[in-house]
Amino acid sequence: MDFQAISRRAMLRQAACGFGSLGLTSLLAAASSANPLAPKKPHFAPKAKRVIFLFMHGGPSSIDTFDYKPMLEVYNDKPLPFKRPLTFAEGNVGNLMKSPWEFKQYGQSGLHVSSLFPNVAQCVDDLCVVKSIVGDSVAHGGASLQLHTGSNTFTRPSMGSWTVYGLGSENQNLPGYITIKPSLSHGGAKNWSSGFLPAAYQGTAIGNAGMKREDLAEPIEYLMNKGLTPDQQRFELDMLQKVNRQHAMTREYDPELEARIQAFELAFRMQTEAPEAFETEKESDATKKLYGLDKEETKDFGWQCLLARRLIERGVRFVQCSHSYKWDQHSELVKLHSRNAREVDLPIAGLLKDLKSRGLLKDTLVLWGGEFGRTPVVQGGDGRDHNPYGYTMWMAGGGVKGGFSYGNTDEVGYYAVEDRMHLHDLHATMMHLLGFNHEQLTFAYAGRNFRLTDVHGVVADKVIA
Amino acid sequence: MHMGGLNLSSPANILHGGESGPILSKEKPEESKLLQAIGYQASVKMPPQGKLKDQEIADITEWVKAGAPMPADKVAVVATTKKKEWSKAQKEFWSFQAIKVYPVPQVKNASWVKTPIDNFILAKLEEKSVAPAEPAGKLTLLRRATFDLTGLPPTQKEIDDFLSDQSADAFAKVVDRLLDSPRYGERWGRHWLDVARYADSTGADEDHRYPYAWRYRDYVIDAFNKDLPFDQFVREQIAGDLLPAKDGGVNVNGIVATGFLSIGPRLIAEQDKVKMLYDFIDEQIDTTSRAFLGLTVACARCHDHKFDPIATKDYYSMASIFASTKAFKKIEGTVSQMYFAPLVPKGEADQYDAYLEKMEDRKREMTLISEEEADLYSASLRPKVADYMTAAWRVCHLGKPEDKQGLDVEVLRKWVEYLRQPAEEAPHLGKWLKADAGNHEQVAKGYQAEFDAAAKAYDAKVAEWKKKGDTHADRPKPNGVNNQFFGELLMGQGPFTRTGHYTEASQKRYDALKQELADLKANTPKEPPMACAVSEGLPVTQKVFIRGDAGNPGEEVTKRFPVIIAGENQIPVTQGSGRLEFANWLTGPSHPLTSRVFVNRVWQWHFGEGIVRTPSNWGLVGEKPTNPELLDYLASAFMKEGWSVKKLQRMIMLSSTYQMGSQITKEKFETDPGNRLMSRVDRRRLDVEEIRDGMMMLDGSIDLTMGGTLQSGFGTDGENAEGRLSIRPETVKRRTVYLPLRRSNLPTLLNLFDFGDATTTNEGRSKTNVAPQALFMMNSSFVTERAKNLAKKLVENDSLDNRRRVETAYSTVLARKPTEDEVAAALAYVQAFDAKRNAEGWQSLCRILLSSNEFVYVD
Repeated sequence: MDFQAISRRAMLRQAACGFGSLGLTSLLAAASSANPLAPKKPHFAPKAKRVIFLFMHGGPSSIDTFDYKPMLEVYNDKPLPFKRPLTFAEGNVGNLMKSPWEFKQYGQSGLHVSSLFPNVAQCVDDLCVVKSIVGDSVAHGGASLQLHTGSNTFTRPSMGSWTVYGLGSENQNLPGYITIKPSLSHGGAKNWSSGFLPAAYQGTAIGNAGMKREDLAEPIEYLMNKGLTPDQQRFELDMLQKVNRQHAMTREYDPELEARIQAFELAFRMQTEAPEAFETEKESDATKKLYGLDKEETKDFGWQCLLARRLIERGVRFVQCSHSYKWDQHSELVKLHSRNAREVDLPIAGLLKDLKSRGLLKDTLVLWGGEFGRTPVVQGGDGRDHNPYGYTMWMAGGGVKGGFSYGNTDEVGYYAVEDRMHLHDLHATMMHLLGFNHEQLTFAYAGRNFRLTDVHGVVADKVIA
Repeated sequence: MHMGGLNLSSPANILHGGESGPILSKEKPEESKLLQAIGYQASVKMPPQGKLKDQEIADITEWVKAGAPMPADKVAVVATTKKKEWSKAQKEFWSFQAIKVYPVPQVKNASWVKTPIDNFILAKLEEKSVAPAEPAGKLTLLRRATFDLTGLPPTQKEIDDFLSDQSADAFAKVVDRLLDSPRYGERWGRHWLDVARYADSTGADEDHRYPYAWRYRDYVIDAFNKDLPFDQFVREQIAGDLLPAKDGGVNVNGIVATGFLSIGPRLIAEQDKVKMLYDFIDEQIDTTSRAFLGLTVACARCHDHKFDPIATKDYYSMASIFASTKAFKKIEGTVSQMYFAPLVPKGEADQYDAYLEKMEDRKREMTLISEEEADLYSASLRPKVADYMTAAWRVCHLGKPEDKQGLDVEVLRKWVEYLRQPAEEAPHLGKWLKADAGNHEQVAKGYQAEFDAAAKAYDAKVAEWKKKGDTHADRPKPNGVNNQFFGELLMGQGPFTRTGHYTEASQKRYDALKQELADLKANTPKEPPMACAVSEGLPVTQKVFIRGDAGNPGEEVTKRFPVIIAGENQIPVTQGSGRLEFANWLTGPSHPLTSRVFVNRVWQWHFGEGIVRTPSNWGLVGEKPTNPELLDYLASAFMKEGWSVKKLQRMIMLSSTYQMGSQITKEKFETDPGNRLMSRVDRRRLDVEEIRDGMMMLDGSIDLTMGGTLQSGFGTDGENAEGRLSIRPETVKRRTVYLPLRRSNLPTLLNLFDFGDATTTNEGRSKTNVAPQALFMMNSSFVTERAKNLAKKLVENDSLDNRRRVETAYSTVLARKPTEDEVAAALAYVQAFDAKRNAEGWQSLCRILLSSNEFVYVD
């Protein structure tokens, strides 16, 4: 299988290497298959066909949300019984601090969830809670980059880009990879960049975290024409295509010219059909309420989640929602984690319930989490520092076991000690769920084959249903 | 290996285990993590490449059960790298061989030949019996050459001049004119800036500005414009700061040129500072080796290069050079500080620094006075925490504001305010907020005790700080003892804080400092011009890092250059960083790569593909040259002509090869589908700069001011502030090369049209053809504005009739006259708009021409 987006030259180069001569028919076929976003089959039957990633930027505390650590009650205010690894705010951390929130067991599975997430707790039997995620960076920049791209240092294609590179898109009128209100910091666009993959695989940003939803003039830049009616624009486009075809007639054997003609047709369809995907206001009041669009606190993230559902429903392959840079509580953990959780808890539960009732959850992988967790030791009064050494993310749907807890941290929740899942392993597992052998989804660049998992990554078989 | 913190290099380390705890269990040997891993029973499966043989597993199991006996004393484990012997094939690999002088080949069709380049091209074509394409027409050639050399379309006057010039050297005159244009450096400098991954911020991480990177960009543009010999260009970018200035003063250009090494991506907030530094060095090695040598040396960071004869030792020899080069001012600290080089004599720079230092000193002392005074003020209040709390209780619950019991009324007011917090947001005040009439005095006493304990810890920290006497270290702060209650009372607007009202002596000193600071500020000299550049650092004795792990150093290396090219018998550099020696080696007359790699880039930038079609990878997995003899001819001629880039380009452009048409015939399509023989010139899509600049040139809106920066400010911006975004290209009229590039958030327009990421060296832009690009043409305000301006000129010119308007539109946008059919079609199109919308009709026609394939492609 060939995953390269075939440019004219690359195609001809391959022809020169192998096929001898190409007929005009195959040339034209190549021009249409040159669409890098055409749907493609993965290596084997996938469990998940699409992904929604709910990014909690800043680093929510695992031990205050999904990783219940009763021993922290016992050790509260005592020094950490082992050597503390490198942290971000090196000199400024103190003794262990128990969770200010109460944990309870929920559902058939009896998984623990803290009082921060009362609504997500109702969906616990759909969650596969991974308590042993491990990353390599204690600073936001590297950690965020590694979560999104696998590398905490270099510019590499993001997981969404790899996904679309591998699978193409099911709706040619929408981008294959969309990130809603992404953060501008900690890598910014590097977190949704296609790196060395062709630009067609980069994420398309819907606004950014600094904007209010109301101020978003058009969901995708340049999508809307501000002066012409569709009829007027069609009239103009017909003339353009006439001019282009005239031009191409005297320039034979150049599929690029035809491809650009087709790109205009596709663009015209896109601008006619894409805006509908963003019309969340057309949803019923009940649905809006389910996502919390009726409440000030939940309406922004609720809108993101609802839009995510509308997009994946229409064939978008990878959608990311960002609760941007809110979870970084070096102090004021109680006040601000409470606020953060209130903003996302209901919308996330709404999304999970909605996906389930529409039969979409079974082949949509939902991933929740931040670039790291937070330390069990206190910082800045009632805050916690960064902890990439063992933290929690959860998955739902898309072929993972529901009501399942995977991996574990030590008794205070610092290090992952059981079934460690490094971010590379998380990526390997996601790729597996999408039908790929992560070692074989590669791209040749700068002298070697690159892949999302670099030279690492082990699929966590146990999480797969 | 240090996976999961596990280090197996000594018995002590083995017993200690990894981050996930011990790997050996003495109590339950069979449950040891080690045995689970090698038995493939755990998530960690070792060795990853395949399970050990049963017998081997049995042996290790037995050893663990026996208590894992190990040599009692420490075994010093120093990994050594064996001296690497390269195979004959590797040594004889084509790109490492000296540049040969081939005789210019004989050709049958001698009349086609204009320069020796044509002999090399035609010889191959004749060998395969393929005819070269017909020459391009004059208009095509002019449009091609003008976009090629300046990134802009030809003007009407240039078209007329060339068409009317019937002399034999008419095109040579055009080439000379274009090479002399300042627009040339803006186009060709941009090519090099792609290789140099030029940008105006650090990218990733916090995306700090490179406030002076623009000087490097301007230097590159200027270098191309003045035809700086390429060998000198290379030397300056690697070691310009070490080269003497012509006038004996500061070598401003030389320092600025080293921006090449300085403007790479950096993660300055990375906390593992060794990793941060060596990632930065790795980036320098990667960019430098790919840019100049066409080699992927960075592949040898963790192990010898998988395909090419580059050893880990070669990598760390290069690392040694960059590790001894200064690119950071201060590495320690949460956010490392970058080094910026002053472009004035040292004395002048020091003077400026001294001013800054003096101001810092004043500020520091003022802060200190405030902090000392705050402690003095709160000293008498400290024992009264419980008193104030109970008084506040009475105020809140019993409504007795008059009942102050000898307490300060302003302090009490602040207490009342402070204690009015919602319980769910202030768990540390939970007990108080739940207290009742019966127990609140008791609870208040509890808080007093908590406060006293924190105060004790705080006083101890302050005492320790005073004992150290380091005035540059920050004085401990009340919120640094991990008691929220204590910190809140004594900081910010807390009840025990007060601004001003210092003791007399302190107030006097504070005021004096304030005055001094104001005076200093008023008299500070202007900041001297600075550059994002490097300079000599402290020489580092570099060791090989085994598997790239700085925590696992191996053999020491000397400063020398890749052995496969420079040979075994190099004289190691013993003084300085070795950059100057490296630069001289790169540009030596017998170096097989530097000149060849560059002439290949020039060829690629003219024709779309290089003679070597992987321009930054000349190793085993790179492509072989399509015409090795031509490649060597160009490299030799280039060096012979003093590494003059313009002379090289003149030679290329005056060849019949360059002047061929771009038609693909059936015959060519079948015999030379990939154009490896150069049987024609490939049609190419304009780059994003050419699209944007070209359109602004056509409607006359372009601002051709050169140089300087449109970026302002230092450091970074708020997490999601507008400042994190690059300037929108729609909002300015300067040429695209002058738009500042914030790596983390490039403008949509650049992303759409394959600009690349400005973060890794870019050997050539991809040319995708996707719908969002078409949306830009159809819907952007930018294209609409261009079309509007063009249409306005047409409509408002009363001397034109409609036919002439169509002709003008065609010749402006497409640099040719329309055919009769085209005129008729265009007139019919415009007339379809009713009279009221006449202007819109012309605007629409202009947008069609701007969006057309004919404008966006160059034949």
